[in-house]
Amino acid sequence: MSQHAIPSAPVSTAADADTSGALADSVELREVEFGWPGKPLLLKIEQFRIARGERVFLRGPSGSGKSTLLGLIGGVLTPQAGSVRILGEDLARLGASERDRMRGDHIGFIFQMFNLIPYLSVIENVVLPAQFSATRRARAARRGPLAAEAARLLQALGLGTEELQGRPVTELSIGQQQRVAAARALLGAPELIVADEPTSSLDHDSREHFLQLLMAECREQGSTLIFVSHDTSLGAMFDRDLSLADLNRARAR
Amino acid sequence: MATLLLALRSIWNRRTTALLTIAAIAISVALLLGVQKMRTSAKESFANTVSGVDLIVGARSGPLNLLLYSVFRVGDATANVSWDSYQKIARHPDVAWTIPISLGDSHRGYRVLGTTPDYFRHYRYAGDRDLAFASGKPFADLYDTVLGADVASQLGYKLGDPVVIAHGLGHVSFAEHKDKPFRVVGILARTGTPVDRTVHVSLEAITAIHIDWQSGMQAMPGQRVDAEQARAMELTPTSITAFMVGMRSKVMTFTMQRAVNEYRMEPLLAIIPGVALSQLWQLVGVADTALMVIAGFVVLAGLLGMLTAILTSLNERRREMAILRSVGARARHVFTLLVAEAGLLATAGVAAGVAVAYLAMWAAAPLLSNRYGIFVQITGLSRYDLAILAGIVCAALLMGLLPAWRAYRNTLSDGLTIRV
Repeated sequence: MSQHAIPSAPVSTAADADTSGALADSVELREVEFGWPGKPLLLKIEQFRIARGERVFLRGPSGSGKSTLLGLIGGVLTPQAGSVRILGEDLARLGASERDRMRGDHIGFIFQMFNLIPYLSVIENVVLPAQFSATRRARAARRGPLAAEAARLLQALGLGTEELQGRPVTELSIGQQQRVAAARALLGAPELIVADEPTSSLDHDSREHFLQLLMAECREQGSTLIFVSHDTSLGAMFDRDLSLADLNRARAR
Repeated sequence: MATLLLALRSIWNRRTTALLTIAAIAISVALLLGVQKMRTSAKESFANTVSGVDLIVGARSGPLNLLLYSVFRVGDATANVSWDSYQKIARHPDVAWTIPISLGDSHRGYRVLGTTPDYFRHYRYAGDRDLAFASGKPFADLYDTVLGADVASQLGYKLGDPVVIAHGLGHVSFAEHKDKPFRVVGILARTGTPVDRTVHVSLEAITAIHIDWQSGMQAMPGQRVDAEQARAMELTPTSITAFMVGMRSKVMTFTMQRAVNEYRMEPLLAIIPGVALSQLWQLVGVADTALMVIAGFVVLAGLLGMLTAILTSLNERRREMAILRSVGARARHVFTLLVAEAGLLATAGVAAGVAVAYLAMWAAAPLLSNRYGIFVQITGLSRYDLAILAGIVCAALLMGLLPAWRAYRNTLSDGLTIRV
């Protein structure tokens, strides 16, 4: 893994780190419709906006289209109608490769489980985004060497010891794996963190603890957080607590 | 570069399958290289059997027949060449030298060749190599014999050992020239040609051992001629089986060939060894082309095995791909990852195959040269070999596009989240 030793600049907040589209929302969906081929419409969202730095809880039972919505936001899925804007950029106007780049540069993902590449070490997993995104590599480098930044994030998320960081990822507990995944999502301070049920395999206490650490780090980096879960008990910790069912008109008809 | 490293790590993570895939490719490549090497070695050995001889003259039959019995010691002559005709041609002003050949007897399966010391002087093989003596010297006495390298090593003869020649051919013979044993005076160095499997005696010796034989039978006791009596008799043969001709000027070869073929006193046939050799190779060469085709298909099977292994791995790697896509891997990266995997496996397979091939050649070379007279020279890879190997890796890279495309399509349909 390459490490770019850029002379350390004063740590800046995300707001002034990236001035392009500074006024635009983090996420903005308008008149979006999506359905899997040959199946009825799954999502129909008239408007859904998430401001910069906002921490949003999106709840809904499984199968309600939460993951699909995240696919749309991530630019992996393309809606049949409407527009998805990320940081003011209309994804429909971008080519496939540019959408991939957009995702790599500006969005960090945490999934429900099996987040890690089994054959890479903990640190290698965390610095993976820097391998594909020059933007995130540069931003992470502002804080110091890449591996050191990875170690710092891991520590902030409660995986402090070198012993833990040196273990093969397959020997980590699920909770520890999720912390590694969170550190990876946060590396290089992407503007948007998307978490898809990352706590569903944790017990209640760990869940809250994990969430607190994640939120603290999001605040520290100035990242927007979209947190999707069917566990409504966590909603109170967020700026906004939304139900996908309220948002989605597809089922209402 | 980083993606290549990722591909390596991913392969290492599946090293058992990867090693088996590499082994399959390695074996197929080794086979291909082996066949290829055998092909060139066999062809070279073949073409190297005789050189420096401008014409071979025998009784009129077919060119291949004449070549086979005079050079390869395979088959028999249908008729002989009279001594007079031989003398007439040998004395022609354009002829530099001749080597008379008299065949028909054998020693424990090895053919006995009656000739003159000119044989050791003028016979050439493998370009311009002459017959060298590993020990001893050419025959001088009537009952001296010079053995080819294989005859000596297989039968364990040393200088001074007695050799009894059998009448006729075949491994087991009931009629032997027991009364006139020979003594080994020379053993030739290995040539990788049929010379190694030949027992050489003088033309006069051939006459001497047959002096009291008539229609394939030795005369009754009492009418026999013993070894010492034979020395005093006229031993110039009345006929020989064939003879080799060296011209003073190569330019005269064709003229002489025509002259011999149109010789009126006796039906003779003159062939140019190089031409006859290539005719013969065209017949034999079909088999080795077939071998090469088979080896090619084995390589294809090896590569298809790799393709299968990679395609199979894709299912268990869907999550890996989704993770990579989620952290910003673009289509290019997914393609690079899988094409690189195919390329790395194939390259490793080819490298291992080359190693196996050379190891096998090194191990088998003595056996091949002893048993079959095929000299395998362990040389570097020829440009043709390199082209084949590069072709295999290129084919693997092309094949890698299929799983790459599949993996990319999977990531599109899976989105970023797949349920395992």
